Amino acid sequence: MGHNVKVSIIGVLDMLKFKNMSKVREATIQAAEPEEIVGEFAINQNAKALHPDYIEVVVDQIVDHAGAGAKSFILKKEDGSPLPYFRAGQYISLKLKIGDSFVTRAYSVSSAPKWALEGKYAITVKANPNGFAADWMLENFQVGTRLTISSPQGYFHYENLRDNKNVIALAGGSGITPFLSMAYAIRDGAEDFRLTILSGSRNEESILFREEFDKIQAATDKVKVVHVLSDEEKEGFEHGFITADLIQKYADGDYSVFICGPAAMYDFLKGELAKLDLPKRLIRSEAQGVTKKVWEEPGYPKKAKGKVFKLTVKQGADEYVIDASANEPVLVALERAGIKAPSRCRSGECGWCRSRLVSGDVYINPEKDVRRFADKKNGEIHPCVSFPVSDLVLEVPGEYFPE
Amino acid sequence: MTKYDVVVVGAGNSGLSAALRTQLAGKKTLLIEQHNLPGGCATSFVRGRFEIEPSLHELCDIGPVDMPGEIRQLMDEYGVQCEYVPVPDCFRVISTFSDGTPMDVTMPHGIDAFIEKMEYYVPGSTPKMRELFDIYEEIRQGTAYTSACAGHADSKVMKKKYPNMLRLGSYPVNKVFKAMKLPQKCQDILSVYWGYLGVDMNHLAFIHYASMMQRYVRMGAYIPKHTSHELSSAMIERFREVGGEVWYNCRAEEFLFDKDKLCGVKTTLGTVYCDMCLPNINPEIIYGKMMPKELIPEREKKLVAARGHRYSARMFTAYFCLDCDYKEVGIENYSYFLAGSSDSEREYNDIHAGIDKNNYCIFLCLNVANPDISPKGTTVCSITTLGAPEEWSKVTQEDYVALKEKVATKMLKLIKDKTGIDISGHIEEISFASPWTFARYLNAPEGAVYGYEVRDWDGMMTRMMMLKQDFPIKGLRPIGAAGPRGDGYSAAMITGSLVGKLALKDLREWQEGGNN
Repeated sequence: MGHNVKVSIIGVLDMLKFKNMSKVREATIQAAEPEEIVGEFAINQNAKALHPDYIEVVVDQIVDHAGAGAKSFILKKEDGSPLPYFRAGQYISLKLKIGDSFVTRAYSVSSAPKWALEGKYAITVKANPNGFAADWMLENFQVGTRLTISSPQGYFHYENLRDNKNVIALAGGSGITPFLSMAYAIRDGAEDFRLTILSGSRNEESILFREEFDKIQAATDKVKVVHVLSDEEKEGFEHGFITADLIQKYADGDYSVFICGPAAMYDFLKGELAKLDLPKRLIRSEAQGVTKKVWEEPGYPKKAKGKVFKLTVKQGADEYVIDASANEPVLVALERAGIKAPSRCRSGECGWCRSRLVSGDVYINPEKDVRRFADKKNGEIHPCVSFPVSDLVLEVPGEYFPE
Repeated sequence: MTKYDVVVVGAGNSGLSAALRTQLAGKKTLLIEQHNLPGGCATSFVRGRFEIEPSLHELCDIGPVDMPGEIRQLMDEYGVQCEYVPVPDCFRVISTFSDGTPMDVTMPHGIDAFIEKMEYYVPGSTPKMRELFDIYEEIRQGTAYTSACAGHADSKVMKKKYPNMLRLGSYPVNKVFKAMKLPQKCQDILSVYWGYLGVDMNHLAFIHYASMMQRYVRMGAYIPKHTSHELSSAMIERFREVGGEVWYNCRAEEFLFDKDKLCGVKTTLGTVYCDMCLPNINPEIIYGKMMPKELIPEREKKLVAARGHRYSARMFTAYFCLDCDYKEVGIENYSYFLAGSSDSEREYNDIHAGIDKNNYCIFLCLNVANPDISPKGTTVCSITTLGAPEEWSKVTQEDYVALKEKVATKMLKLIKDKTGIDISGHIEEISFASPWTFARYLNAPEGAVYGYEVRDWDGMMTRMMMLKQDFPIKGLRPIGAAGPRGDGYSAAMITGSLVGKLALKDLREWQEGGNN
């Protein structure tokens, strides 16, 4: 190349300087006063406090919503220290041991974000006679019951840079809980938007948090609640389902729509929202859980229905062979067998249960398959929304559960 | 309990590379990862209908198939298959020249094209630019040679083949630019990549910068077609294919020793025994929390002290998924570097002073390089800036969201003012990654993904020269950004390979020497 660039006038000195670099480095190191190495860092401590691996809490108080067949559990840290702060609308995942099964259940935090600073979260559990965990919790949780929970999770919350300043919330039954938290956050100045909640209940008696919302509405004009009763026609309430017409009746200018409720409500609203012709970005839905009738989903291989397959599970150095019903997600088979498997949203979205399908086939509803591109290609699945349609070999990540 | 030859901790760029290196050499390797997927920084996350790239802007050293760069060659050697897409330009930079005139410069890939474009912006600069790129090339080859020698470079070869590297090797970038009498405007334009290393041009070694810039300009940059998660996944698939074992959601808790030699790792999924462990864990965490204090060499305590907890850049990125085509909001280029000035030391200091003074950011639009990265008629773009350490360590949980929004809002306005790009009204998904996020997912001290600053006496070259002196614990060889090659995707992969080779050498000695 023929260049001969020098920084000092004599290039040889530059070369010498290069040769001496390691000496200079060594001298700098040797000149330092050796220190006790701690390995703690302020930002890491902040991150850990906001996102701990898990949190141990106790049930501090129980509120019975008899009319709605639900109870609210107020959870607190035993020592009263603060819980991670959160965005109103986020959920916590409870890690439960029911019989021999280690399961998780996701519940929106219904309390004000500022309660977290006082060390409290509230969740609301509604009875579900066909379910596995809800009624068990309602029966077994007492004041003083110890629980292990995740930190608040999920993306069902207001975003200043994305959402319209006007939000119309569509709530069905206990789907009201994230909106109660949002309403508190607005009241407290933690969030700044106008929230109009169309809250669907069966009848007046089963309305959840009526008094709480009345108080919030008295304290701030940014929150408005409209109760919509499906089974009862009464003065002062809307009647029927939440429809496009009803949304337009209460909308004032442009708005974002937030939805949280049972599966049937999402199905119904699909058609109603289509009438409003809103861009996708203005519609946010909370995770919807998983179907109980997988054989009715598009493209399901019907002959698998009702069968029981062999599931070989590898976790760390351990290996188990268990049964897996075609009618239930793979995650449920793991839980039934007493394996400590990771999960959080149980709707396929959060990816916490991501596991490696070594062999075999599963059915995943293609419309709800939100896995990463490479994961689809390489056979990584989200067991919470994957149904076995053959014998399977699965590698499952480790997860902590209290015994 | 099974015994492994090697346990690699952390399935990021460095760990994946190291694990492939040792497993392919026939050493039984276990790769453990604290999360449930590979990649570390090199990952992706899904929001709504979008899969989002969290960290990679452009991968250097891939190169075209017929002229493979160091990383493509490394992946070929490992047998890792991944589809890459070329990035159209080097960069567009909108800033201010040292003489106060406005700068809006777009530089292409390819040395000839780059020099030609520089001539257009700075007439008469060609001879000096040629000279610079000749030296860049010499240094690129020289650093590749020293990496390949893993600390055993032959000084005669160095003197004969890489004399300019030796002559310029001890100086910071600006000093060499000045000594070469590069026109000031060229210097201003050439400074743009400093943010990729997080150290300003008065304190960053010329050879480090030269070697990096050459890698970007010479044969262009690439990105994996389906985010960097695709590349990490391809690496881990290959690792499994050749017999490697992977444990996810598994955290290393403690290193176990037999006298002064490592013999195992206590993990959250049980204890594993091994002859060698390659952790991508910052040495301060290893020494502070994961091994017996009495085994920590005095010199290591001094090294930590001498580094003075000077962790590198605190990254902040805001991700935006738009419900329209990128052209609709005025995006023309792949990457825009915006800076208040072309004085990198001033920029560095302003960044450290806090968001009110920070005018530095990189705006990136993946669709410009790769239209298939998001559904038709949508766009994925991001803003990356560096953060002030104090600001992010002192903010409370309650104010944390507001700080993230403040940074993003300021940068969005800066971008709108300087480029005309206005994405408001089109944001369908949004997400932020702050130093807290990087601390959470990567365990990097203070969330500093670049390791220690590659600064002054602790630059890349001197770390390479002292490979044998640093981390002298038998059976424990840290990898990652705190290692010899510093930060960046390709640097981490090379470090993984390099340290993997050193580990293999140790293993050969111990296992074949029979003194294990």
